[in-house]
Amino acid sequence: MKPSENNKQDQIEIKTKTGELFNVPVEGSLGLLALGYVGLIAWRKKRKEVKLANGL
Amino acid sequence: MSKRIAKKVLLIGWDAADWKIINPLLDSGQMPTLEKFINEGVMGNIATLDPPLSPMLWTSIATSKRAYQHGILGFTEPDQETGGIRPILGSSRKVKAIWNILNQHDIKSNVIGWWPTHPAEPIDGVMVSNFYQKAVNNIDKPWPMMPGTVHPERLSETLAALRIHPQELTPAHILPFVPDAPKIDQEKDKRLTILSKIIADCSSIHAAATYVMENEEWEFMAVYFDAIDHFCHAFMKFYPPQINGVPDDLFNMYKYVISSGYKYHDMMLERLLQLAGPDTTVIIMSDHGFHSDHLRPLSLPKEPAAPALEHRPYGILCMKGPGIKKDERIYGATLLDITPTLLTLFGLPVAEDMEGNVLVQAFEEEIELDRIPSWELIPGNSGMHSKSHATDAASNAEIMQQLIDLGYIEKPDENKEKAIKQSVDEAQYNLARAYIDGKKNQEALPILEKLWEENPDQSRFALRLATCYQSLHRLADCRKVIEKLKETEKDKPEQTSILVIEGNILLGENKPKQALEAFKKAEEKAQNFPNLFLQIGRCYLQLKQWDDAIRSFNKALSMDKDNAHCYHGLAMAHLKKGEFNEAVDQALTAVGLLYHIPFAHYHLGEALAGLKEYAQAAQAFEVCLSMAPNVGKARKWLIDIYENHLPQPDNAKKHRDILADNTRTTIIVVSGLPRSGTSMMMQMLEKGGMEIFSDQVREADENNPKGFYEHEAVKRIARDKTWLKDVGKKVVKIVSPLVFHLPPRFHYKIIFMVRDVEEVLASQHKMLERSGKLKPDTYKMGLDEAYRKNLDQFKQWVEKNPNTEVLYVSYTETIQNPTVEIERINEFLGEGLNTTEMLSALDKELYRNKKQTVN
Repeated sequence: MKPSENNKQDQIEIKTKTGELFNVPVEGSLGLLALGYVGLIAWRKKRKEVKLANGL
Repeated sequence: MSKRIAKKVLLIGWDAADWKIINPLLDSGQMPTLEKFINEGVMGNIATLDPPLSPMLWTSIATSKRAYQHGILGFTEPDQETGGIRPILGSSRKVKAIWNILNQHDIKSNVIGWWPTHPAEPIDGVMVSNFYQKAVNNIDKPWPMMPGTVHPERLSETLAALRIHPQELTPAHILPFVPDAPKIDQEKDKRLTILSKIIADCSSIHAAATYVMENEEWEFMAVYFDAIDHFCHAFMKFYPPQINGVPDDLFNMYKYVISSGYKYHDMMLERLLQLAGPDTTVIIMSDHGFHSDHLRPLSLPKEPAAPALEHRPYGILCMKGPGIKKDERIYGATLLDITPTLLTLFGLPVAEDMEGNVLVQAFEEEIELDRIPSWELIPGNSGMHSKSHATDAASNAEIMQQLIDLGYIEKPDENKEKAIKQSVDEAQYNLARAYIDGKKNQEALPILEKLWEENPDQSRFALRLATCYQSLHRLADCRKVIEKLKETEKDKPEQTSILVIEGNILLGENKPKQALEAFKKAEEKAQNFPNLFLQIGRCYLQLKQWDDAIRSFNKALSMDKDNAHCYHGLAMAHLKKGEFNEAVDQALTAVGLLYHIPFAHYHLGEALAGLKEYAQAAQAFEVCLSMAPNVGKARKWLIDIYENHLPQPDNAKKHRDILADNTRTTIIVVSGLPRSGTSMMMQMLEKGGMEIFSDQVREADENNPKGFYEHEAVKRIARDKTWLKDVGKKVVKIVSPLVFHLPPRFHYKIIFMVRDVEEVLASQHKMLERSGKLKPDTYKMGLDEAYRKNLDQFKQWVEKNPNTEVLYVSYTETIQNPTVEIERINEFLGEGLNTTEMLSALDKELYRNKKQTVN
């Protein structure tokens, strides 16, 4: 969750308070934006993954 | 150097955040992070400054200086390069901000989005300027970042990538604000575009802040969010309860935007606090509040910065961290107190040229304060810019457009020269208002005179000028402006303001009946004007019509329930009626809202003493004296309470000694221009029982048939002040041109005679004619202006000399309405005078040089 350089941004993961991996919604959410850059990067990563998966 | 209290400090700015909106959200559990924060720290109101314009205010917050010192005078400024205007730049700031001072002490600061900080300053830390988040083009076009947006440059690319474009947002971001958004026809209703911009902008700032907090070293971090202010300007009219004139469909569509905006800030706050860690001292504050009830203006005047009329004068302040009290309220904070408090947290001295105070009441332990004359004099790398920077025209245009959309500035004239003139005029007007707010009316005056001369169609300049004249006791000049305005603004809304100023003049002249007439006329024109009813209440207090006063103050409160002065008025009226319980309640409410009203504490003390609650009464009088040490009445009460009701003889002795010391060293002076009624006042005081400091060298003559009451020593005061110690408890006459030579080692109570300058000149002229020193029909040129200047200088001198108390007494009013004036004089001098005898000293026949226009 703590990238110190740009190239590490792909490693960002978001976990819930109970420690489980959070499934980032492709449409994003205010909650993700409120997490700051971590939430923003995680959301953009998810969008990219979905785009790739859809062959876009 | 004093002890450093905070390891790290996080300062969060929420522009326009207001307790009136936050409190119901806290009560219903919708801002859980802020609620927990408040429970672990202190909270209170924070008073704004005038004018309440954000670039000026946030600079005052960061410098503890008003605009006339820091130089940020509005939203725009002339652009030397393009010959047009541009958004105000941080490089126009003339003084050090908190981060510059910290820079000189190797304390790393990160500053994100602070208004105005473009171009980013080369501090030892990170600065992201206020130009960072603004999107210029559509999302499919490049979005370059303006040079100078990020310091250090190595972070530019990373932070540029963390900006969120409004068009990147999805319904998932919009629906929490506008649940029925899909029903909106966005061709016709553009509000969703505005909303997306605000959400994207503040999310960009938050992304940059969180990145910098987590990845860069820091000891001081300042983050500024403008979103609450922008949500409010765009959507407050839809906030419940529904205002008349707002259609049901629009109300229902947008009624959740404001509360959702606050809830989103609470969510962002949770993350910021998490990253800051428990050992960081955190301050959350706003620069002003925002009207959210029936005081929401239904329409705004067509003038620049009119949206600022929607701002409420109190913002929010909360603070928590090591050494900070828990779950307590603090009172009396102003924006100017933030930087001195930050310096204290870092163990650095506060500068004497800063206008604010350290918020000592927030600290658990007593704070030892260090002071230096000025941080501006301290050498070393502060990280300030050495020269101004060029800016990018496209981004300038986008930011200018946003200011236009928000209504803060008018669309600049296409004629560049005209646009520059408008920008400069606006800056000058803001400068004058800042001077007035800083009680520097004398400095404001020439600016307002010039503005009105050059813009005779702008009544706002004239109204401010009239108020300025009134504050400087230039009542004739004030009336001239008012009369001219009455003609030019006939049948316009300005008539109400004109009547209120007229009423204020009359009230200041102790003519409550006439003042009341003016206020009543104003009431016929404008019903929804709380300050009008406050003034009406004050008239009734002067007229001793207590029930009418209570009705008026309550009427004002029904319009604005947070007006501390109305509660104070109610306390006074109930006190006079012997209704002590009510008086205590009202006085407590007044000081709860606005702590720095010394006389509200005094009246609270009187009411508590009336209830025989002597311990609490003593506390109230002590607070009054801590704010205004010269309120002798409070000290007398304390002596009585400590001697007769509480077994505290040491405290009684302390106050008795101070009182004796004050009395011993207080010199009572009668002053004014020559021939303004000073001799008449001396005679009245003599009749009232005071001894006169006079050598009777100058004998009575035709000019002053009852004597001059002068002492030859006074004439040589410029070179010899040794005789002042001999004045003792006598009263001495010193004409106003000589008053400035009074040394600061004494305390002075000055009765200053006010008389129309034309009357004074006519009287002096006759006197000189009689003595043969002036030929008939010859006049000394320029004296009137010199005298007016002298009166202004006197006022300034008083403001700069805290050892001076002044009572202005109108010569005309003393002749025409002596009972009221004598009562005021008696109260001013401690109520020991024989007022009946004083009355007998007056001789209306002596009012020989009456000006025709004088009432």
